[in-house]
Amino acid sequence: MYQKVALAIAFSPRMEALISETKRLVQLFGSDLILIHIGKKTDELEAKLDEIIIKTGLDKLKTELIWKEGKPVKMILQACKEQKADLLVAGALKREKMLTYYMGSVGRKVIRKSSCSVLTLINPQVNAKRFSKVVINGTQLEVTPKVIEQGLKFCQNEQVSQVHILNEIKLYGLRMATAAEGSEDEVSNTRRKLIQEEIKYVEEILTDLDKSGLRINIKVTAGKWAVELVRYCESINADLLIMGDERGYTFIDRLFPHDLEEVLTELPCNLLIIK
Amino acid sequence: MESLAHKDVINLLLQLASMLLLARVFAEIAQKFNQPSVVGEILAGVVLGPTILGYLGPEVFEFLFQSNPSSNLALDGIVQMAVILLLFVAGLEVELHLVWSQGKSALVISLLGLVIPFVLGFIFPYFFSEFFGLGEGNRLLFSLFMGTAMSITALPVVVRILMDMNLFKTKMGMVIVAGAMVNDIIGWLIFSVILSFMGETANLSLFNTIGITLLFTAFMLTLGKALINRVLPWINKKLAWPGGLLSLSMAFCFLAAAFTEWLGIHAIFGAFIFGVALGDSDHLSEKAKEIIHQFINNIFAPLFFVSIGLKIDFAANFDVLLILAILAISFAGKIVGSGFGAYRSGYKFKDALAVGFGMNARGAMEIILGIIALDNGLIDEKLFVALVVMALVTSMTSGPLMKWALREKIVQSH
Repeated sequence: MYQKVALAIAFSPRMEALISETKRLVQLFGSDLILIHIGKKTDELEAKLDEIIIKTGLDKLKTELIWKEGKPVKMILQACKEQKADLLVAGALKREKMLTYYMGSVGRKVIRKSSCSVLTLINPQVNAKRFSKVVINGTQLEVTPKVIEQGLKFCQNEQVSQVHILNEIKLYGLRMATAAEGSEDEVSNTRRKLIQEEIKYVEEILTDLDKSGLRINIKVTAGKWAVELVRYCESINADLLIMGDERGYTFIDRLFPHDLEEVLTELPCNLLIIK
Repeated sequence: MESLAHKDVINLLLQLASMLLLARVFAEIAQKFNQPSVVGEILAGVVLGPTILGYLGPEVFEFLFQSNPSSNLALDGIVQMAVILLLFVAGLEVELHLVWSQGKSALVISLLGLVIPFVLGFIFPYFFSEFFGLGEGNRLLFSLFMGTAMSITALPVVVRILMDMNLFKTKMGMVIVAGAMVNDIIGWLIFSVILSFMGETANLSLFNTIGITLLFTAFMLTLGKALINRVLPWINKKLAWPGGLLSLSMAFCFLAAAFTEWLGIHAIFGAFIFGVALGDSDHLSEKAKEIIHQFINNIFAPLFFVSIGLKIDFAANFDVLLILAILAISFAGKIVGSGFGAYRSGYKFKDALAVGFGMNARGAMEIILGIIALDNGLIDEKLFVALVVMALVTSMTSGPLMKWALREKIVQSH
């Protein structure tokens, strides 16, 4: 599924865990690994990296080391492009401020601007484990059919035990209030119809896809999809959320944060963004 | 504190009962003819008011609605509250989130759908102010009001039409909904500025009024919203649900309304902007929104719409020429404005026309706008009746006209 997986490393205390997690994925997908470090290449750092590579048992033949100097976001993305990486793995740090932020500005910029898919790991472990409960964003967006298709392939590779596809009814409150001018039967019919429409949308996407080995649960919620995704992931203790992102970002997106930002602010679990 | 006497209380209760009863009956009849409830509720007011009951049974009308000044005053207070709550609900319906997700085309459609009706609605009353019924008021304010009255789209009516036509989730449907939301915000912003120059509180300069209005809006949509986002989870978790949420949201709605009234930019604006901030919050569940909607739309909205018929003799103030002129300006402005906006955004001619027809639905908001202008002496009763007719006709024709514009598409999809 992924030919080349890139990992951005920063010689932080979590580097070993991040490399272990990425090694698991690389073995799973049979991919090549590219380790990218933005900063000065010193003998000390090289020795440290060598040590971790040996410790984690990475295949040196299938691992390429890239050292670059410059602005982190620009250089990471440039390296991914040059190496034709199709998945970039990055760690996310939780920062406590007035509001709780998960992603720093570098992480956010990488996710916004990356042309390849990005996997953000919030709590990487040295003894990396496979993902078992995965939530896929099934909200009606242009990118959704692609997200579900890629998401299912990812889950099949991972042998995920339960896949949840979450879809949302737009402006549910307003539509129900409008429908409430009818009788009780009409109101419940409208309610049923709204839910059925959303389930049908996901089912139609699923029709031609290979679902073998997967247990799929389609769930419909009402509200803003990003917020609902976060809540749902928390409620079922999901370990991976898969969503898409194909928008260009403008000045307005900075003034009025869009859905992706909402998810990044309250990252409930690991996040795979499919591009 | 003065209180209502025994017979005042009885009179007030009879007023409320008759208004709600007749509103329900006529709303049900309107729905049988596939029309929004508001059409029936206004008709109920016409039947209960001087137009019909006052003509057929003047003693009964006199006894119910004119014999008791104290109960009338109390009823007026309830109706005032209803207007504030209606604006609060209108604010809740605005989802800025959806507007941004629809991108540039929603902004172009709503801005052109606002500017062109506004210009048309401004120019004609400005140059023919006598024909449109300007008395001794300010011609500029009067024309500005008319421009605004032509610009606001009735979101709930639009949603109903789009749901009936199975167009709600289409690209066109979403663009129309988002466009109507932007129209609402800008329209009420302009109207608040106009209002601040009409009432007794007109003690601020134009610059200050616009500045304060924009500042208040910006505050509520940034810091205010952030504060709501912090408080709501606590309310949802610690207090009774939905009781806690309902009473506190009402309380803060009235607080915001009182604040803007104190500032001199009218209570309805505070309620509206608070509604926008609350409705856009991540922690106000759709279920809670539905409950607030039901509570206000089925109790306070009928009282308000019936009260309109009680104030005015629709037959005596029915000016056919004026009504035709208002209808012509309103249809032309919205259809050309929003339609052109959609055409510019890449829609085909017929689809753009359908967008124009969809945005043409006016409904309740225009009537609220009109009644406040009437109460403040900016417009006369004839013009108010013409605005009510315009709101009803545009709401009733919006759906059929959209169907007509999209008839080939609808036939194909069947």
